[in-house]
This record gives sequence, structure tokens and C-alpha cells, in this order.
Amino acid sequence: MIPLTRPAGPAPSPFSSEQQSRFDSEFEKAVAKYPSERRRSALLPVLHLAQELLGWLPEQAMAYVGFRLDIPPPRVREVATFYTMYRLKPVGRHHIEVCNSVSCWLGGSEDLLKYAEQKLGIRPGEITKDGHFSIGETTCLAGCGYPPAALVNNFRPCENLTKEKFDALVEQLKSEPGNTQAEFPANHDTGRAHDHG
Amino acid sequence: MADVFKPIQPEPQIGPHRILSRDWDKPRSWALDTYLAGGGYQALPKALKMQPAAIVDEVIKASLRGRGGAGFPAGLKWSFVRKETSFPKYLVVNADEGEPGTFKDRAILEWSPHMFVEGLIIGSFAIDCHLSYVYCRGEFKDGPIARVQQAIDEAYAKGYLGKDILGTGYHLDVHVVSGGGAYICGEETALLESLEGRKGYPRLKPPFPANAGGGLWKQPTAVNNVETLANLPIIIEKGAAYFDSLGVGAPKNGGTRLYAVSGHVKKQGVYEAPMGINFKDLLENYCGGMREGSTLKAIIPGGSSSAVMTAEEAIWASDFDTLKAKKTMAGSGAVIYLDQSVNMAFCLANVVRFYAHESCGQCTPCREGTGWLSKLLDKLIAGHGEKKDVDNIHQIARQMEQKTICALADGAAMPVKSFIEKFRGDFDMLVKG
Repeated sequence: MIPLTRPAGPAPSPFSSEQQSRFDSEFEKAVAKYPSERRRSALLPVLHLAQELLGWLPEQAMAYVGFRLDIPPPRVREVATFYTMYRLKPVGRHHIEVCNSVSCWLGGSEDLLKYAEQKLGIRPGEITKDGHFSIGETTCLAGCGYPPAALVNNFRPCENLTKEKFDALVEQLKSEPGNTQAEFPANHDTGRAHDHG
Repeated sequence: MADVFKPIQPEPQIGPHRILSRDWDKPRSWALDTYLAGGGYQALPKALKMQPAAIVDEVIKASLRGRGGAGFPAGLKWSFVRKETSFPKYLVVNADEGEPGTFKDRAILEWSPHMFVEGLIIGSFAIDCHLSYVYCRGEFKDGPIARVQQAIDEAYAKGYLGKDILGTGYHLDVHVVSGGGAYICGEETALLESLEGRKGYPRLKPPFPANAGGGLWKQPTAVNNVETLANLPIIIEKGAAYFDSLGVGAPKNGGTRLYAVSGHVKKQGVYEAPMGINFKDLLENYCGGMREGSTLKAIIPGGSSSAVMTAEEAIWASDFDTLKAKKTMAGSGAVIYLDQSVNMAFCLANVVRFYAHESCGQCTPCREGTGWLSKLLDKLIAGHGEKKDVDNIHQIARQMEQKTICALADGAAMPVKSFIEKFRGDFDMLVKG
């Protein structure tokens, strides 16, 4: 864990040189949306960017983002652990999250999740042995009229899911590259943000 | 192989007034050409020739109520921002749609992004704002955000945004920002915290966002919902009296509304209907009635935070003031129709699990209360409940109300109390002995 007292000093980059140039140009675009004295406000978008490049947010990435935005590491970590889209441990190349909120629940989300577990042989939070798939639950995706809905890799909604359509989804995803799964030492506090209870 | 990610087409619209959904049945409804062909960007030059204060007056007269959930008069909110003498002022758009049942802002951003952008420019002009942010939930990145960003880029290219808009000297920049996944950021002060790069802890009010000290970077800020802003072009074009006359419920509830309907109806979807339409009319004339074999049992009228209604109460008008008087709320316009197959205790357990997950943890009554409620309800539906548990659940909900910084705890308490009060039998039948 990052000591709470550590200042936002220089931190080594977690990126390859190719990723670095992409990060640098996108970083400038993200920061340019805010008045110059408010550049720290770009923390959420910059964390999204780092995660897009690495597939998840290892401590090194959080520390580096803090360094680039001049935000102390604990503040970065506080944000990364608060929001559910940031991944504090690696997920499968294709991470499928089934919506469990009320309209999707009425539309059969429990059965769909069970079917997904059965088909892929994993429980929510687990990754298949070949690293291709992981599953989880998520809250309302604003797809309530087209239940049950799921979200693939944070940004791709997939709706009106039936068992047949889930099969087709899995087939389609097998042929796509999906998330990078950068290898870094695991975070001490893993799991998604504030899943209490 | 068919693409499983194929976007869903909007339902055919059948309401008497097609304003927000005007272009939805056209091919490429989101494109600038389509919007222009339908009369788009006609209101903007007209608005920019008006005095900003006159626009605010017009919106007050139109009875445009905030479509995010609270139903606060939009013009009044802007008049508070206008009174402030501190500059800069900001307009922040709440596109963090996440209330269970709600999927109508997404429809605007995906199918009519230019109508929203035109409204955003008019709203910014009305409060002397030159920098505006659209805070979208992060999950919208490849869909709604991509569409609205394209619309913003097209608007810049056409001179509707940027410097010296349409030669009037007014300038405005708009940026779209992604959230990180947190229901609480739909609360306006949590949204501002998030936009400033922090975790979404709601702020203590006052000062309110409209006031100096309470808004974005402590500056006076109007926080408006997507649908609220999309209504501005029609108000400017056709006038306040026309807009106000569209409402069919209580007075001072103007315009049409996008009702996001889900549950056991024949045709789920987003329907544009007169503000205040009663729930029976919405069900029968828009959604094709209940499904084959389904009988209406309950209605969640305005997102999962609203108090539930019985089938007999379907004749109530769906406007903000009528439902407030009936101790529930119009909320985000998300209507969920439930049939006889649903045991309301199971439904409530699902609803409350959401709030337990999404409570930000700042205030103890909410953090602990939602957790206790969820555990007790899970115990009940697992068949281990006792009679006193049902009373305890109700009691906990009452104790959470009005004790926290934001309305999330009240939003959890309202369904709990109403589900138990109106459908007590469903709870008691699960109790042992």
C-alpha cells in the first residue's frame, strides 16, 4: 500500500514507450478541458486513460497519474477505489457485467447471470483459466427498457440478452482482442470499490 | 454472425406532440443535417437576440420543471445564478443517468444530441456562462458520449459554439467529461465534486450550487438535466404559453415528458407524452397494456427511489405536484409496471440492495441504514424472517429520513416504507410461524 505520507513526487511510468506516447497526447487533451489552475480536476479522465492502456490500475499507475497531475497518491487511490469502473485487479480480456437493478431483475437478470456462470465455469469476480473471460454484477446501466442488460469491458452495452444471445456474445468476443492485461504486482486492497455487505 | 452490440432503435412514438422525439424515426436522427431539416437551430439566433434575463423569464412562464428528479423550476434556478455577482458562472449538465428504471437521457443523447446542444447553448447564454461541462456517466463513452461529442464538434464547425457565435459576440466552450461509475454522482453536489476530480461525496448545503461558494470551483453554477435543456429550443421558438399548455396534469407542470417505461408491459421503451399523463393512459395507450397473462399489481412511478403505487392508484396524474401531494414523486420519469407474479418483498430486497451498494458512506444513517435494511430483507426473502423484522425494516427506514447530507437515504426509505405499507401481505407471508 502507498504510505499516506508520501508526497506527489516523481514516480516511474508504468507504460511501454508506445503506450507512453499515447498517454502523453491523450493526457494533454484531457487536461486542456479545464482552466490551467484547475488541471487536477482531470483525475477521473486520466485514470480512465491509464486503465485503457493497462487493462487495470496497478499501484504504479495510480502513483504515476498522481505525479503527472500533482495529486498526492492517497488522493488518487481514494478516487480509484470510490468509483466502480476502475479496476484494482486484472480482469479477463472480456469482462462481462450483468445489471442486477430492478428492471433487469424483472427481466430475468438472475437467470442470465446463472447461465453465464454455468457456461463460462466461473463465479462473479473470477477469471477463466485461459484469461479470456471474467464476469461480475453491476448496477443500473440505463438499459432498463431492454432487459436484461450487460456491459462488456466498461463501455459496450449489450441488451435484451437471452441465453442464445449470450452464446453469440461469447463467440463474438472470442475473436476480439479485448482488454490488455498488463502484469504488475497485485494491489494489496483488491476488489471493486465499496462492495460492503 | 449478427452483431450482438447492435444499438436498439427507439420505439415508434404515438403521443400527440412530437417535440423531443421529433427526429427519432428518421435515418441518422442524430446527424446535424437531420436536425436542421426538422427546423433545428432556429431557436438559437432568436435566443441570442433576446436579453438573457428575458430568456429566464420566458422559461419561468413556461413552467419548465427540472427533469432530473426534483422537478425544481428551471427558470427559477437560473434566476438565482443570475442574481450572483461573482464571475465566471458555469452551466454543468447532469448526464449521469443511473436511477434504476431511467433510460431517457440516453435516448436524447443518442438520437437527438443536437436538440440538447442547442438547449445547452441557450441555457448558457441565459446565465452569462462561457464554459460549460457535460458530465456523463462513464459507461456512456462509446454510445451517448460519442454521439454528443460529434454533435458538439459539428456545432463548433457551424459557428454555434466557440468564439463570436453567429456573429453576436457571445462565446461558449463546451467539454464532455466521463464519470467513473457511481450512482451518487447524479446528486448535483457529488457531481460537482467528481467533476473537480474527487470522490463523489455530496456537499453540505447551503451554499447551493447556484450561489457563490456552492458551485463548480465555488462559482455560481446551474446544474441541469439533459432533458430539461433539450426543451429550451421549443420554448424559445413557440413561446412560454404554448409550452405551458402542453401539460395535462396539475398547473405549473409544462411541456411533454420522456417517460422511460419498463417492467411487465407489452412494449417497453421511451415514450414522449404530455407532462402529467395518468399512469393508466400511459400503460394502455402507449405501452400496449400489460403482457399476455399479466395483471397490474404495482407501479413504481418515478425511478426506484419513489414510493410505490397500487394498481388502483394508476389514475393519478404523473406530474411533479400531484405525485408530491400523494406522498410519492415524479422523479426521473422512469415508470415501472409490475404484475401479479412479483412478490413485493423480493422486489424491495432488490431495490434496497442497490442503495446499500451505492451509498457513498459519508453519513452514518445512510451507510449503516441501507446495509441493515438490505441484510434484513435478504434474511426475509431467504425464509428466515420473523414478524418483528418487518416492523424493524419499516422503523429503520423512518429513522433514516431527513438525517443525511443528500437525498439518497430518503430515496431508499421511500420505497421501503411504501412497499410495506401498501403490500404488507407480501412481507408477512414470508415470515416464519
